Amino acid sequence: MSNFNFKLFYLPVPVRIAAVLAAVVGVGLLFTLEAPPVDVVQRGFRGLGLFQNYHPATFAKTVAENQPIAAIGSPLMVGGPAGKVYKNVQVLKDVPVAEFTRLMASITTWVAPEQGCTYCHVDTSNLASDDLYTKRVSRRMIQMVLDINTNYKTHVAASGPTGATGVTCYTCHRGNPVPKNIWFTEPKGPAHALGNTSGRNLPSRAAGLTSLETDPFTPYFLGADDIRITPSTALPEGTSTASFKATYWTYGVMMYMSEALGVNCTYCHNTRQFSDWSQSSPQRATAWYGIRMVRHLNNDYLVPLQSTFPPNRLGPTGDSPKIACATCHNGVYKPLFGANMVQTYPELTK
Amino acid sequence: MALLSFEKKYRVRGGTLIGGDLFDFWVGPFFVGFFGVTAALFAVLGTALIFYAAVQNGDYNVWRINIAPPDISYGLKFAPLALGGYWQLITICAIGAFVSWALRQVEICRKLGIGYHVPFAFSFAIFAYVALVVIRPVLLGAWGFGFPYGILSHLDWVSNTGYQFLHFHYNPAHMLGVTFFFTNALALALHGSLILSAANPGKGEPVKLAEHEGVFFRDIVGYSVGTLGIHRVGVFLAVSAAFWSAVCIVLSGPFWTRGWPEWWGWWYNLPIWG
Amino acid sequence: MAEYQNIFTRVQVRGPAYPGIPLPAGDDPRVIKPFFNYLAGWLGEPQIGPLYVGRLGLLSFAFFFVAFEIVGLNMLASVNWNWLQFWRSLPWLALEPPAPAYGLHIPPLNEGGWWLIAGFFLTASVLTWWLRVYRRAVQLGLGTHAAWAFASAIFLFLSIGFIRPVLMGHWSESVPFGIFPHLDWTSAFSIRYGNLYYNPFHMLSIAFLYGSAVLFAMHGGTVLAVSRFGGEREVEQILDRGTAYERGALLWRWCMGFNATAESIHRWAWWFAVLVTLTGGIGILLTGTVVDNWYLWGAKHGIVPVWPNVFPPVPDPAAL
Repeated sequence: MSNFNFKLFYLPVPVRIAAVLAAVVGVGLLFTLEAPPVDVVQRGFRGLGLFQNYHPATFAKTVAENQPIAAIGSPLMVGGPAGKVYKNVQVLKDVPVAEFTRLMASITTWVAPEQGCTYCHVDTSNLASDDLYTKRVSRRMIQMVLDINTNYKTHVAASGPTGATGVTCYTCHRGNPVPKNIWFTEPKGPAHALGNTSGRNLPSRAAGLTSLETDPFTPYFLGADDIRITPSTALPEGTSTASFKATYWTYGVMMYMSEALGVNCTYCHNTRQFSDWSQSSPQRATAWYGIRMVRHLNNDYLVPLQSTFPPNRLGPTGDSPKIACATCHNGVYKPLFGANMVQTYPELTK
Repeated sequence: MALLSFEKKYRVRGGTLIGGDLFDFWVGPFFVGFFGVTAALFAVLGTALIFYAAVQNGDYNVWRINIAPPDISYGLKFAPLALGGYWQLITICAIGAFVSWALRQVEICRKLGIGYHVPFAFSFAIFAYVALVVIRPVLLGAWGFGFPYGILSHLDWVSNTGYQFLHFHYNPAHMLGVTFFFTNALALALHGSLILSAANPGKGEPVKLAEHEGVFFRDIVGYSVGTLGIHRVGVFLAVSAAFWSAVCIVLSGPFWTRGWPEWWGWWYNLPIWG
Repeated sequence: MAEYQNIFTRVQVRGPAYPGIPLPAGDDPRVIKPFFNYLAGWLGEPQIGPLYVGRLGLLSFAFFFVAFEIVGLNMLASVNWNWLQFWRSLPWLALEPPAPAYGLHIPPLNEGGWWLIAGFFLTASVLTWWLRVYRRAVQLGLGTHAAWAFASAIFLFLSIGFIRPVLMGHWSESVPFGIFPHLDWTSAFSIRYGNLYYNPFHMLSIAFLYGSAVLFAMHGGTVLAVSRFGGEREVEQILDRGTAYERGALLWRWCMGFNATAESIHRWAWWFAVLVTLTGGIGILLTGTVVDNWYLWGAKHGIVPVWPNVFPPVPDPAAL
């Protein structure tokens, strides 16, 4: 050791401390950050900072996780109407029986690939029975899909070169009987003398790990609270009656929407004036319709199913499972990157 | 003349880095030197380009001037003048002028026989600028990631760039930078106050010196860093503010593409929490 | 080639600790036996202590302790008194101001009452600390410049936490006590009032904040550069300018055609730092009271840059 002069040990104590600190921080950063290169999409006039940033490795994972499932063959419009052939068919009655059967087989691969037909039907010899709650829920869900595909073209087919994109069961279910990204209303904590969080001030996974709302869903995707909080006049003329704290809720739900779509605020907004539609991208309008669609679907389809679901499917306050942006989008700006799955199931668009 | 009463004895030849005696002279109060010439050339050219580009845009309102970098489709190539080329030339001029200025400070320090602390500190400011318009754009692969030159337009860029990461205040390096800026202002206020209060103690009071200065802070917080130390603290705080500001923006994009709040997941998900 | 640049103190001399100049009659004795610290001496004075506490100091500390405990216990309660979760979630935790419905009324303790009490004690602590800073300067026969600079910071603190909420008629406008939550407040404040970057007093405040960094780098750098000539003895340089400050002055005169003096540089410093919080406070007080949307205020006064839209115009669907 004595003839090995390692200079570091001759550095003053403070420099040694700084070196150790720098090393620890440096190694820490290696584990928490991403390495370049980055894929960037410019979505505005140059020099404005209107960019979407994607890290190739993370994005490749997202792409892999959001692939459409192959359709079973192609539409088979033969045979009599399903409602005449099978008993107790209440929706899709006019679909030709071959196509109806093909759709049923497809639904199995979309929703219950492991459980098979008997996830909803008591057994294959008694397809008509409504004994299982899953069958009753499925029927309502099929009606929901038809509703979306026919009445919400402002959202599900508002853009894209292929025209109508539409949704199928797979858009949300992805082979799971219960879709991954559903939500329940958060129960109110027990009343204490102190420690009131006001619905935030805890790590919020729903709001992108900020300390914003832990349940940004209920007010906007079940209720119809106003997201708009910015005054439309320069001087105080009462054009925004929103309380200051309403901003936290707006920010929280916007954080959720960004994460749900894998985009940042500038995908829809020019952030120098979030509220200004004339500086927004067309996707902002698509999102606006999406919020209304989700609100409608929750209130008209999912909430009424509360009594149909068994208790183990309900949330902590006994509420129905509900949907929001991520249920379909799953971290992508267009579900399944805009794959047109209904094209091969035309009965779902009528 | 522009000479201070004591100035003449300091105006001696020597100390230049380049050019020997060729540019070793003063113009009015200004020392010239080789880098004075380059600084002036870059500054005049850059300023003229700003004016010219602004005129080309056709808007003469000083607040609205916006000289934007190219579209990112140009990558790291030169863009046509009206499509970001002006921005590129102005950036070259700015860096040239800033670096010349720092080197000119070095020459002046040499001439005066004093330390290089001022150009050292200034180099951090240059680094912060270069981080914004060169390092980060190069890491991201296009000049279009630089900020636009304009009083309000650069604020719009700051806003949008911040919201690309959903909530920029959660950027840990930004937190450090802001903390250093605030602490620097606090320390500057305390130091300025202390010297003024010792030199201006009020009518009838004798002027106080370092003993009183030190005792004032020891009495209040139990420690006084001292007359020399406060200047080290000041330089440290100021350069740290610039340094971490540069780090926080270089991390954003090249090394992190998601919301900054999400970055804190490493802490929240540490295995120690059970 | 290698020159000593006086970046840190290479040789630390240890003499007896300096107890401080005698205090005037009526002051308490100082506490903490002075000791030396190598790391501190590397940067500046190695001596730590003594400290003057006095009644104001005691009071200020007691007030601060109460505020700190209220905030801390509320945070701990918000994770059900679980210490592990407390440390895990600490950056996210907060004590919130009252809900908007309470206006300026006093709400129940757990509905913002704790926040008001904590704010009261924190303010009391800050104000007694101000008195202490003022009093210490007077007792030592110094000017009261530090107290007045501190007053500027208190002005910003009170503007955010008290004056503006009172003007707006809502405690809810104010900041939560918490690490991330106060950052959420900052962003929410800008979003709710239409982009604070367009607030001219916010612009000024930032300009002075950056300017303060530039000034301290310039001043600190200059004094360190001339420390071989005793430049750090600044009051002496004010009274009887020596070669240190002559060289420092000429560095800037030759560099940018203008220089300060040993005294005036500290006036520059004082004003820059004081104006950070003074202009910041004004910017806060104007927001929501006089101007509701700063971007639209900017548009009204023609300062908003214009550029081509890359997308076709999007009408507001709510207006269709």
